[in-house]
Amino acid sequence: MAELTAFSFRTGNSLLHGLDARFKLVFLALISFAGLKAYLPGLFILTLALAAVMIHTRLSFLSVLKEIRYFLILLLFVFAARALSTPGVPVLEADILGKTMAVTGEGLYHGTLICWRLILTVLLGLLLVSSTRPSEIRAVMGWFLAPFPFIPEKRVATMIGLTVRFIPLILSQAKETSDAQRARGIENRKNPVYRLTKFAIPLMRRTFEDADKLVIAMEARCYTENRTEPELSSGRADWVALVGVVCLCILIVVG
Amino acid sequence: MGNILEIKNLKHHFADGTPGIDGINMTVREGEFVLIAGQNGSGKTTLLRHLNGLLLPTAGSVTLAGISVSENPARARQMVGMVFQDADSQIVGETVCDDVAFGPENLCLDRAEIQKRVSEALEAVRLTEFADQSPHLLSGGQKRRLAIAGILAMKSEVLVFDEPFSNLDYPGVRQILRQILSLHQAGHTILLTTHDLEKVLAHADRLIIMKDGKIARDGSPNEVVRDAEMFGVRQPCASRPGIEIGSWLN
Repeated sequence: MAELTAFSFRTGNSLLHGLDARFKLVFLALISFAGLKAYLPGLFILTLALAAVMIHTRLSFLSVLKEIRYFLILLLFVFAARALSTPGVPVLEADILGKTMAVTGEGLYHGTLICWRLILTVLLGLLLVSSTRPSEIRAVMGWFLAPFPFIPEKRVATMIGLTVRFIPLILSQAKETSDAQRARGIENRKNPVYRLTKFAIPLMRRTFEDADKLVIAMEARCYTENRTEPELSSGRADWVALVGVVCLCILIVVG
Repeated sequence: MGNILEIKNLKHHFADGTPGIDGINMTVREGEFVLIAGQNGSGKTTLLRHLNGLLLPTAGSVTLAGISVSENPARARQMVGMVFQDADSQIVGETVCDDVAFGPENLCLDRAEIQKRVSEALEAVRLTEFADQSPHLLSGGQKRRLAIAGILAMKSEVLVFDEPFSNLDYPGVRQILRQILSLHQAGHTILLTTHDLEKVLAHADRLIIMKDGKIARDGSPNEVVRDAEMFGVRQPCASRPGIEIGSWLN
C-alpha cells in the first residue's frame, strides 16, 4: 500500500471544508497575489493566519514539512543565490578560488522575503487540496473555463482530474523501474545520459500503456462529456469568508 | 430462464490481420455462472470485449437481451459491467467515492440517485469506510472490490471478470471469490475468465475452454475439466483421481 500524503483530500468538518470550492479557488488567487506583494510584517500576519487554519483543519505540520522537503531544498538554493547576488552592504565575506564572495544584508532580506512568500503560496495550495474533493476542484475548473470560447472546459477539467489521479501511479512506477535497474547494477554506469535514457523510455512506455488501458476502462463505464457534474452551491458563510479574506489581503499588503 | 447473451459466428481480426476470435457460437442463460478458461492468447479477453462493444465483430453478431451490441453499444456498456485484469488502470476517480460515482455520472443520473447508488455499491463490497480515501492507497484486493463497486453502481445485469484473481494473495482471492458468489446469488449473470481453474471451478455452472480463438470444449465443469490439460490449462489436483473439487471458501 502507498502512503497517504499531505497533498491529498482529507475529510473533515472544518469551516474550510464546508466552503464552496469556487470561493476557495478565488481565495487562493487573492491571498497568493497579496502574499507576493507583501513585506515582512504582512507575511508574518499571513503566516499566523495560515497556521490557525492548519490547526483548525487538523493538518499536521510534520506531514506538511515531510511533503515539501524537496521544495525546501530548492528554496535554500534560491535563498543562497539571492544572498550572494544582491548588491549591498556585505555582512560576510570569503575568498573562494581567488574570488571574493560576499553575503549582503540586502541579499539576506530579499532572500528571506522571496522564500517566505513561496512557502506560503505552497501552503495555500496545500490547504485547498486537502480540504476540497478532487471532483469539486475539477468541476470548478470547468465552471471558470465555461465562459471562454473555444476552450472545451469539460475536456480540460477531465484531463486535469486524470492527471491528478495518474501522479501517484507514475511515481510508484518510477520507483519500481528505478529499483529494478538498481538491482541489475545501473549504478555502475556513470554516464547520466545512458542512465536517464534507460530509465525514461520504459517508464514512458508503461505510462502510455496504462493510459490506453484507462481509456478502455472509461469507455466500458459509458464515458461521455455530458455527464452529471458535482453540485456547486454557495451560502452566507462563503460571502462572509470572502469579506474576511479581502480584509486579510488589505492587511497583508499594507502591513 | 431465457438467454441473456447470444453470440453467433463471431469473428474478430485485429488491425494487423491477426485472428483473435474465429467463429464462436454460444449462448448464456440469465443467472448462469460461466467460467472461460484457456492459455494466454487463446482469445478470452478479446471475446469479453465484444460483450460490451469495446471491440466490434469483423463478422457475426453479439446480442444482449435481444438487442445487437453493435447497434447500441451504450446500452451494452450499461448492461455488461466489466472488471479488468489490472485493477489499477481501471480506477478513474481521485477518491474511492468519486470512482464509484464515475459510471452513474456518465449515465446522467441525478445527484441524489448517484449518492444512493454509490452508498449501496460501497456497502455491498464493504468499502464504505474508505469512501474519501485515494484509491491508490488501497490494497490489491480492495482495489478489485472497488472495481466491482464501480460496475454495481451502474446496475449492470451481466458481470464480466477478466482474470479477477491475478496478483492476489490467498485472503485476497477468498474475498473476491466471496464477493463474486454473493453477486451470483443476487441474480447476476457471471462470466469469468481464468487460467487457474482450482480457485473457482467448484462454483461454476459451466466451463468453456478456448484455444486459438475458438471454443474447444463447452459443458459441465466436472466433465470438461478432464480435458483441460490438452488445451494448456492446468487441471486441478483433486480432479485427477476423480475427487470432487472443493471450494476455496471452505
